[in-house]
Amino acid sequence: MKDRAPASSLRGRRRPRVWPVAAGLVALLVVAAGLWPAGAQRRYVVAFANLTEEPGVTVEGTGFTGREIRESFMLAARAHPVEMVYYDNQRDDARALQNADAAIARKVDLYIQYHQGAANAAIAQKLKAAGIPILALNYPVPGAPLYTLDNLAAGHVAGEALAQFALRSWRGQPTAAAVVGNLSAAADRVPERARGVTEALAQRLPAVRVTALDTRGNPAQVGPLLGKFLGAHPTGKLLLAATDDTTALAVKSTVESAGRVHDAAIVSHGVDRTIHGGMNERKEIDPANRGSIVIGSVAFFLDRCGYEILPLAMRMLRGESLPARVTSRLVLVTAANVFLEYPPYDMN
Amino acid sequence: MKPRAIVVVIAALMVLAFGSAASAQSDCKTLVPASPWGPNDQTGATNRITPAVTKAAATEIKDGKVIAMAYPLADGIPLFGTRFTKTILTATTLAPGGALGENQLTYMEDTWLSQSHVGTHLDGMGHIGRKDCYYNQTPMGKFITQNAMTKLGLEHLKPFATRGVIVDMVKVYQQANKLKSNPACKKPCLDKGTVITAADIQAGLKMYNVTLREGDIVIIHTGWGDLFEQYPAQNATYNSGEPGIGKDAATWLISQKIVAVGNDTWGVEVIPGESPKEAFIVHNMLLTDNGIHIIENVRTDLIAAEAAATGRATFFFNMTVPKAVGLTGNFVGIEAIR
Repeated sequence: MKDRAPASSLRGRRRPRVWPVAAGLVALLVVAAGLWPAGAQRRYVVAFANLTEEPGVTVEGTGFTGREIRESFMLAARAHPVEMVYYDNQRDDARALQNADAAIARKVDLYIQYHQGAANAAIAQKLKAAGIPILALNYPVPGAPLYTLDNLAAGHVAGEALAQFALRSWRGQPTAAAVVGNLSAAADRVPERARGVTEALAQRLPAVRVTALDTRGNPAQVGPLLGKFLGAHPTGKLLLAATDDTTALAVKSTVESAGRVHDAAIVSHGVDRTIHGGMNERKEIDPANRGSIVIGSVAFFLDRCGYEILPLAMRMLRGESLPARVTSRLVLVTAANVFLEYPPYDMN
Repeated sequence: MKPRAIVVVIAALMVLAFGSAASAQSDCKTLVPASPWGPNDQTGATNRITPAVTKAAATEIKDGKVIAMAYPLADGIPLFGTRFTKTILTATTLAPGGALGENQLTYMEDTWLSQSHVGTHLDGMGHIGRKDCYYNQTPMGKFITQNAMTKLGLEHLKPFATRGVIVDMVKVYQQANKLKSNPACKKPCLDKGTVITAADIQAGLKMYNVTLREGDIVIIHTGWGDLFEQYPAQNATYNSGEPGIGKDAATWLISQKIVAVGNDTWGVEVIPGESPKEAFIVHNMLLTDNGIHIIENVRTDLIAAEAAATGRATFFFNMTVPKAVGLTGNFVGIEAIR
C-alpha cells in the first residue's frame, strides 16, 4: 500500500505529463502563427523563354517586339507571388535547349515557352523529366497547354467590321474588297487572318469578291499592289483589310493619293503604337479622329499577354488543369473605345 | 404647325431636358460617394485641419529649421504631355530714358505662360472625376465655364497647416533587400512600375515609430525625383513612368483620414498602373471619392535625409496654395519646419 498513491495523487501526477505537453504545443502553434506573416504565401519561380529579344524585330506579323512581350510579364508579375526568370530563345533551337537546361538547373517551378522550332519536343521531355510544368505561348509544346493568338477569329472580327460598315453605309453600291499584308508569312499565321477576313465577308457580303495583295512583308509594296487594285476598280466602294497596322497606314496613304478616300474603309490587325497613342500623339485611331477611313484595328493584346498568361500559370502551380488551348481576347479597337482599351497617361 | 402641336413639342422637349439633367445628377450619386462633410462641401479633406490639428502640428517645430520641399520652377524642368513653360521679362524702364519721375523709378515684372499642373503642384478636387462626376457627387458639366470652374475651385480649401510625415521608401526597400534602382538615377531610387503597398508604407512609418493621425499629410520619398533634379537631361525618363502607390496603399491611406499624399514623382501613383485597363485609378480613389489631395513633384530627398540624420520623420507642413478662384490645381511652395 505504501507505494500505491491515492487516486487524487495519481491524477495529480498524470496531469503534469499531459497538459503541459498540450499547452506547450498550443503555445508553439500560437508563436508559429505569430511569426508567420499574415497572408504569406509561397513564392514561385516562373521562367519565361522569349521567342526573341532582338531590338526592333517584330513578332507574329504585328508591330510588337519580343521586348514588349517580356515587359508585359514584368508588369503583370507585380500582382502575383512569383519571381520571374527571363531567357531569350533567339529563334534558335540550340539556344532554346540551353535555356531549358538553365531553367532546370535553376529549379524553376514553371516554364513558359515561346519558341517555334523542332526543339520544343525535346524541351518538353527534359522539363517533364525534371518535374517542371510547361505553358506554351503561340507555338505548341507536346503535352503543354497552349495560350495563343487566334488569328482566324481576329480575321473574322475584321471582316465582320468591314461588312457591317458596308451594309450600313453603302448598301446596294458596287463594292470590292482586298486583303493586304504579308500574306505568305505562314509562320506568323498571317494567312489565317486573311482567311478569317475572307470568310466573314463571304458570309455577310457574298457578292463581294476579295482580292489578296501580298506585300511579302514590305510596306513599300502596298502602293504598287493597291494602286493596281484601285485602277481595276475605278468606281465603286472599297473594303480593305490590312493584316497589320503598318500596312493599314500604307493602305490609307495609297487610298488618299489615289483620291479615293470617300470610297474606302480600312480595318487592321494588332493595335500597335503606330496606329494608336496617347492624348497628345494624335495617331490614326484617336477619339478626335472619328471620321477616319481606318474604322479600327483588331486587338489581340500581344503587348499585354503577360497579364493573361500569368494567371494561367498560377492556376497550373496550384494544381489546376487548363484547357488544352486558351486564346487571346479579341476586341475591335476604334476611335470610340481606344481610350477605354488603352488608357493613355499623357493627359494635360 | 398648329399651336397645340407646338405646345406638345415644347412640353416634350422640356421633359427630355429635365429628364436628362435629373439622370446626370443620379448618375453622380451612383458614381461618386457623398462627402462626409455634407452636400454643400467643397473643401474636402482639408476640413480635417482643425485648430487643434494645427496646434498639435506646431509642436513639431523644435528649432526653427526649414527644409525646402519644392523643386525649382524653371524653363526646362520635366513637363507632362504638351505642357509648356514660357517666361517673358518686362524690363522696359531699364532702357535709357525709361526710368520714371525724379526718383528714376524702374520696375520689372514677368509674364508667366504655363499650365497649372506643372512643377511642384497641388491637384485640387476639380482635377479628376469619373465621367462628368467629381468630388461630392458634383455634376461638373453644370459648373464649368470656358475659363474656370464655378465649383470645387482652390478658393474653397482650408490652409494646409498641419503635420507632415515623410516615409522613406528607398530605405524601406533597401532594408527589405528589394530595391531595384533605375540606372539613370544618380542616387538610389525605386524604379518605374514599382507598386508601393500599404505594408511598405506601414514599414516606413514603423522605421521612425510614427503612427498616422487624422489630418496628417503623408509624403513618400521614392528617389525618382533624382531624375527631376537632373533636368533637362532625364526628362524623358522621368516622364516615362514612375514608382508610386497602388490601390492597396491608397485604400489604407484613405482609412487613416489623411489630408493629402505627395511624393517625388509626376503622378504619385504607380505608372504603368496595376491594371493596364485603368487610368490613374488612385487619383479617382483619393480625389474624386475622398477629397484627399495629391501633391506631385515634391522634393523629398532633403527631408528624407533630415529624418535619417535625426531619427524623426515628422514636421510642420507649410504649403502655400493661392486662392485661385475656379482653378483645378496650382504650383505650390512647400517647406518642412522642424
